Amino acid sequence: MADALFWLCAVGLVVSSIAVVRTRDLVRAVLWLALALLSTAGLFAYLDAPFLAGVQVLTYVGGVATLMIFGLMVTRRHTKAAAEANNDQNVIGVVAALAVFGVLAYAILNTKLPESSVPPPDTSELGRSLVHEYLLAFEAVSLLLLAAIVGAVVIARRRDAEAREAPGTSSLPSFRAEAD
Amino acid sequence: MNALNDPIFLAAVALLAPIGAALLLVVLPFVRHRGAPAAGLCIFGSVLALAAAVKLLFVHHELGDARFAVTWISAVSKPIAEIGLFVDGTSSSMLAVVCLVALCVQVFSVAYMHDEPPRGYGRYFAYHAFFLFSMNAFVLAPNLLQAFAGWELVGLTSYLLIGFYFAKPSAAKAAVKAFWMTKLADMGFLFGLLWLFVATGGFEWTAKLDPTVAVGVTLLLFLAVVGKSAQFPLHIWLPDAMEGPTPVSALLHAATMVAAGVFLIVRADPLFVQAATTQTIMLWIGAFTAVFAACLALVQRDIKKVLAYSTCSQLGYMVAALGAGSAFAGYFHLGTHAFFKALLFLAAGSVIHAVHSNDLADMGGLRKKMPLTTLTFVIGALSLAGIPGLAGFFSKDLVLASLEGRFGWVPWGMLMFSAFLTAFYMGRVLCLAFFGNLSHKAEHAHEAPLSMSGPLIVLAVPSVVAGFFGSTLAHAVGGHYEAHFVGLTPIVASAMALAGLLASIAVYGRNRDARVAGAIEGLDRASAVDRLWELGYRRALLGVSSVLGWIDRYVIDGLMNFTGYTTIEAGAAVRGAQTGRMRHYLVAVVLGAVLVAVMGLVA
Amino acid sequence: MTLQHCLLLAAAVFAIGVYGLITRRQAIGMLISLELLVNSANLALVAFAKHAGAPTQPLVLFVLAITVAEVAVGLALVMLFYRRYDDTLLDQANEARG
Repeated sequence: MADALFWLCAVGLVVSSIAVVRTRDLVRAVLWLALALLSTAGLFAYLDAPFLAGVQVLTYVGGVATLMIFGLMVTRRHTKAAAEANNDQNVIGVVAALAVFGVLAYAILNTKLPESSVPPPDTSELGRSLVHEYLLAFEAVSLLLLAAIVGAVVIARRRDAEAREAPGTSSLPSFRAEAD
Repeated sequence: MNALNDPIFLAAVALLAPIGAALLLVVLPFVRHRGAPAAGLCIFGSVLALAAAVKLLFVHHELGDARFAVTWISAVSKPIAEIGLFVDGTSSSMLAVVCLVALCVQVFSVAYMHDEPPRGYGRYFAYHAFFLFSMNAFVLAPNLLQAFAGWELVGLTSYLLIGFYFAKPSAAKAAVKAFWMTKLADMGFLFGLLWLFVATGGFEWTAKLDPTVAVGVTLLLFLAVVGKSAQFPLHIWLPDAMEGPTPVSALLHAATMVAAGVFLIVRADPLFVQAATTQTIMLWIGAFTAVFAACLALVQRDIKKVLAYSTCSQLGYMVAALGAGSAFAGYFHLGTHAFFKALLFLAAGSVIHAVHSNDLADMGGLRKKMPLTTLTFVIGALSLAGIPGLAGFFSKDLVLASLEGRFGWVPWGMLMFSAFLTAFYMGRVLCLAFFGNLSHKAEHAHEAPLSMSGPLIVLAVPSVVAGFFGSTLAHAVGGHYEAHFVGLTPIVASAMALAGLLASIAVYGRNRDARVAGAIEGLDRASAVDRLWELGYRRALLGVSSVLGWIDRYVIDGLMNFTGYTTIEAGAAVRGAQTGRMRHYLVAVVLGAVLVAVMGLVA
Repeated sequence: MTLQHCLLLAAAVFAIGVYGLITRRQAIGMLISLELLVNSANLALVAFAKHAGAPTQPLVLFVLAITVAEVAVGLALVMLFYRRYDDTLLDQANEARG
């Protein structure tokens, strides 16, 4: 039964991942990504990490995917962009991906992996470790998040000078190159 | 143990007092912008450093060597690198010399730079404090790695000081030239360090090496020395570096920066003695530089450039002595040279300050207007020329003695000839600037204030007597030395010095009189005596000088330009790989990562 | 299922992410592919916690937090890019061309 859950999630993850990178419409790609992340959450549950599975669903599927859709909608071009979601590097992409997988798989299959019967921590232990051993990292991450939010606002903010220009025109026309 | 008797504590004070002053000047802009307080702070730091360095001399005499190191880069078996303080005879004596000269230069600068706006004034002293720290960090380095760090800091601060008048294009260019010229040579240091590390797993001064490795490592280190100590063919930055304020020239080109190169060889002598080939190359390059630079010094009209080429030449002496395997001779000359060359530069600065010109033609007869400056300059010049009894005589004698009989006496002869030239060009400067008739510009010259003449007097003392401390110094660094006046080398050297001085007086002294008779013709070129000398002096010596100058300009500079040109061309050839497309870079990154992983798996 | 299975699965997802990163033309498409990479790393971490007893579960939380930060900044950059080039096709940005 448990193994069936693993295989279900594994197949779901691989199939949805391929769909994420192959589908033409990026909105659909994000939806496939949500499915891939959900499958991962299922795998987390299978791997005795129920809390992480929950977090995965909440932040990733609920937060990141939504954010992606939002970003996509804002910047969407209704021209021919959807028709050419991928560039001309298909072959080299496949080669590179296979090379990466080959190296990783070779390494995994030829490494003597450790086996241990220590059970993974339950949620209360996980929570305690966050405010004990990892307290410093925890605080640092909270600072990082704050900095990222502020940074994102600063970067994306439309500056007054830019706002005065007609929307949609580039502020650096000389840098515009032909799209291939 | 009482802290004042702890060598490590004293060395730490000497190291940290200047950097403390520098950091305070950095973080307290209101002090720096006021000017005068900044000078006070910088000098206070240097006084502390000097006091600690002098005390350290005595403490070291009693307690011997001391070493303090903390792990910098740790590794499983033993620390890869340490930083710390190493106090022995060499470093403690060098520390005292550096601190003394730096302090004199700083005090001198107080009056010399007083026309500077307060902000520039403060910046100047902040650089000075930082420079002293860098130099001390280099001198006290317990291993080659820290020495490299100090070496690079010295390079940086000298860039800042040479380019102090950065608004002036020539100064900015000179600073950049000095920087990348020495940086080019510093690649040698870096690769030498890496090789040393690969061979021995450490950065120790006293590593034992295979013969071939020893030659390779020391040759690379020597490349760095050639750049830093302005040896042929990388000397071309030194005359340009005279664009900096004159006290800076005194500091950089007398006691510290250029001396760092020689000090490095002295320090790394245990490595160099394992490489006879390197030593031979050093000997020849040193001897050649000594003659070559002395020839160039003969024909300079700018008083600072005369001194600059003279420094090149004297550094050639030191390098030759080190190449002959006599580390002590080189080190001794380094010490005495630091005193009298700093004195000469500062006295020249005093003259320039009074005359508002670098040009020897604008000077003349300053003896009457500036007696104290004249006296100290004469002392420095005689010491440099190697008049018996003065400091320069003893150390130069030792250098020459170390070359006796080597390679069929040829290097010895070259240095002897160079000694003649040295006396000649110093006599020329003396005659043109200080004796003879009062020039137009010199009429309103007046003696420098006490804050400028004080350092001159302080430096004049060791310029006279430092030679008598040779045996003390030798004892401290673990060598043996006895001054002697009788023998082939000292007698020939003294004769050369006297002959050079007399010859210069014959040329330029009489010449001045002829000029009086000729009722001021302007330059001395037209006078009868000069025409007599035209045959011997101009044709021969100037001919040699101009040939060397031509080589300098076209072959050496051409080599440098060629390097730059090929770099640009090579860049143009490979720029096609930079498509600017992110996806191309990404593919390269991914495949590169796979490649590294495969290499890791195979290995 | 063993650790090996989980790691192979993670490797496969990672390779798919690399493919996406290389072939996507649009900035957001690349960001989405990056999520796959991070996700596969998280999967490996959780698998180690389960099978090897490694204390890697807290790391997953940190990775999640940092990923959220990355997405926020990444999307902000996409916005900026869009405003400057009027599109999100990354090939338009080739100022680094030699």
